[in-house]
Amino acid sequence: MSSFRTHRAQWIILAALALLFLLAAQGMSTRDWLVTVLRGLSVAAVTFLVASGFSIIFGLMDVLNLAHGALFMLGAYVGWTAYVRPDTVIDLATPVLLFLAGFALSPALTLGLSRIPARLRERRAFAWGLLAAALLVLYLALPHAPMAAWHPGEYTDSPIVWTQTFEAERVAELAQPAVAEVPAWLVWSGILLGGLLLAASLIAFNMQRRPPVAVASAALRRGLFLFLALLTVALLIYGFNTPLTAFMLSLSSNWLFLFAIVMAVITGVGLGGLMESTLIRPLYERALYQIMLTFGLAFIGTEIVRAVWGRSGFTMPKPELFAGRGEGCPATSIGGWLQHHCSTIVIEIAGEKARIRTYNELFLIVMGVLVLVVVWLILQRTRLGMIIRAGVQDSEMVEALGIDVRRVFTLVFALGVGLAALGGVLAAPATGLSDAMGAHVLLTALIALAIGGLTSYPGAAVGSLIVGLMQQFIIKYGQIGIQLPFMDEPFKPTPPLVPASTVLLMVVVLLLMPQGLFGRRE
Amino acid sequence: MPAPILSLQSIHTFIGRFHILEGVSLDAPEGSITALLGRNGAGKTTTLKSILGLTPPSQGKILFNGEEIQGRRPYEIAALGIGYVPEHRAIFRDLSVYENLKIAERKKGDLERKADFIFGLFPDLKRLIHLSGANLSGGQQQMLAVARALVPDNELLLIDEPSEGLAPVIIEQMMEAIKALSAKTTVLLVEQNFLVASTLAEHYVIIEEGRTVKRGLMADLIHDEAAIHRYLGAA
Repeated sequence: MSSFRTHRAQWIILAALALLFLLAAQGMSTRDWLVTVLRGLSVAAVTFLVASGFSIIFGLMDVLNLAHGALFMLGAYVGWTAYVRPDTVIDLATPVLLFLAGFALSPALTLGLSRIPARLRERRAFAWGLLAAALLVLYLALPHAPMAAWHPGEYTDSPIVWTQTFEAERVAELAQPAVAEVPAWLVWSGILLGGLLLAASLIAFNMQRRPPVAVASAALRRGLFLFLALLTVALLIYGFNTPLTAFMLSLSSNWLFLFAIVMAVITGVGLGGLMESTLIRPLYERALYQIMLTFGLAFIGTEIVRAVWGRSGFTMPKPELFAGRGEGCPATSIGGWLQHHCSTIVIEIAGEKARIRTYNELFLIVMGVLVLVVVWLILQRTRLGMIIRAGVQDSEMVEALGIDVRRVFTLVFALGVGLAALGGVLAAPATGLSDAMGAHVLLTALIALAIGGLTSYPGAAVGSLIVGLMQQFIIKYGQIGIQLPFMDEPFKPTPPLVPASTVLLMVVVLLLMPQGLFGRRE
Repeated sequence: MPAPILSLQSIHTFIGRFHILEGVSLDAPEGSITALLGRNGAGKTTTLKSILGLTPPSQGKILFNGEEIQGRRPYEIAALGIGYVPEHRAIFRDLSVYENLKIAERKKGDLERKADFIFGLFPDLKRLIHLSGANLSGGQQQMLAVARALVPDNELLLIDEPSEGLAPVIIEQMMEAIKALSAKTTVLLVEQNFLVASTLAEHYVIIEEGRTVKRGLMADLIHDEAAIHRYLGAA
């Protein structure tokens, strides 16, 4: 498909970069080179998880989602919670599922609301009244939901100490959920009612814009089924809270990490879907407001993280598979790691020992490649991928073919945010958690996308790769120095040069190719 | 005259603050080609887009098979059985010819069922099936755009300027194809080239400054040189 002639400029720039990359290796031992490349790939993998979702969302719906970094961060914090405090997640499951159950009844609510005389229904006060009632009921009910959690304000009960406890003894003396003064059935029905009212108010707002349409009886039945299912699961989890918590705490940290990944992705997909359908959708015609909105949401996300998990950063222990330090460690081969689950592998290269961290430098890279391949397969081989590729070019024509593009938008936004959240939870054990991690990764991803081409999937991959490698090489040269022409002393780049160098590269690429390496000319 | 499958009753459409359509009425009788004529900027393309809901009309009624469809979302309207061949073709450059056809399926297997018919009309496309849309010539892109609209079971095709920018040989090929497909499907055709329009269409509608000013049988219009001159500028 791609011939040399049509992509000449791309190949020349890539060749120039490869040459620079090889030149950069001079004056560096093979060991240092290998470790630096692996570290670069690891940074690239995390950057790619954020950049790919961002780029597909921007390509398909022209939304610059500046909250993407905050959602990455939220994925990390939710992952930490599921990992270190699974009991909190179980306590939270009941209210969250009950709240969602209200939304499952949307078809029935639509039917009910359309029976109300239009004169009453189309008053603004009607929808606003429902919304106010929903918020009031939730405000009254939510604080009484029994829940055990940490308190960022008190050091002995802060996430930092919980992380230490987790690392030290695994099974902690967990606080029992505070016994509520309000009977549980009242709290649960309050949350259910709150969800119902909120769903009803959203439907009422919608009906003011568009007259109600008939509800298919299949949708009604499906909604009712989903409602009953959510209700049952919520109450079962409440009823079996104690044994469930004990079970979760008895799991190995590998299983807990898998649980953390699943919870982070579910949260990301859910928040993404919610964000697109309620906040982004009304603003499709107004790009500037959209940017302001996502920018604001990024701040709100950061503040939520600070309020719930505290301002100070903390770490996330690595799962057992990547944390072994005892007998047989550090391993000397992949086989040795598989046997002893070492945190590091040490191999000898040209007489020097190279330390490779199994989580950071093997697992993260493998996950990055895995996501790269899976998303590529989805884009190239499925009907959804076909619609996305077509929609990136002309979403109006896709809709004119009879395809509900808005539903595709919501789905793609949700999946894109899910990828960011996955990136967050995967990065957390390697980089730790802090309230600045979102802004940092977003900046890196944006630079990678500017280099690779904003709406190009291969561009996102190549851009992430270049930025990751560049960063790590500059850091390495900061330690060992690099011999530059016309300088007597080896030059040691200082840490501020790390972000500056990638920005500089971005400027150079954009001057030569304004649409990035793989971008399409507009 | 057969019953109209599509009927526009005094449509008004705004784009931003501009009042583009100020009362367009037309009927597209079932099983025939209706040409929508008018000068540049008269509102022909906007009329097609209004039918599909891409630029939703603010007033007036649109009846498709006797059912009011104005105000519905474009994908709902298209799914009723309306195919759209926009001006400038709008085929998907990053998709192969096969994918460009496949994406238009509304039921699984639409393309397989229609393949013989489509490739019978446009044998070239069969040869180009794995090429990407970006590598097609203008004529091939136009064929693909028409073929794409034939994949699902559409009862009505809205075709916008199919002859624009094509070589005379290709135009002839395209005219033959449209003639052939109109045996199965009703067509509403926007066409600047009066020769093409008058050869193909049985009925015509002329709009001027967003209003329907004249409509009837093409056979009558061909002999009305005054009208052709007045409304279309050239014969």
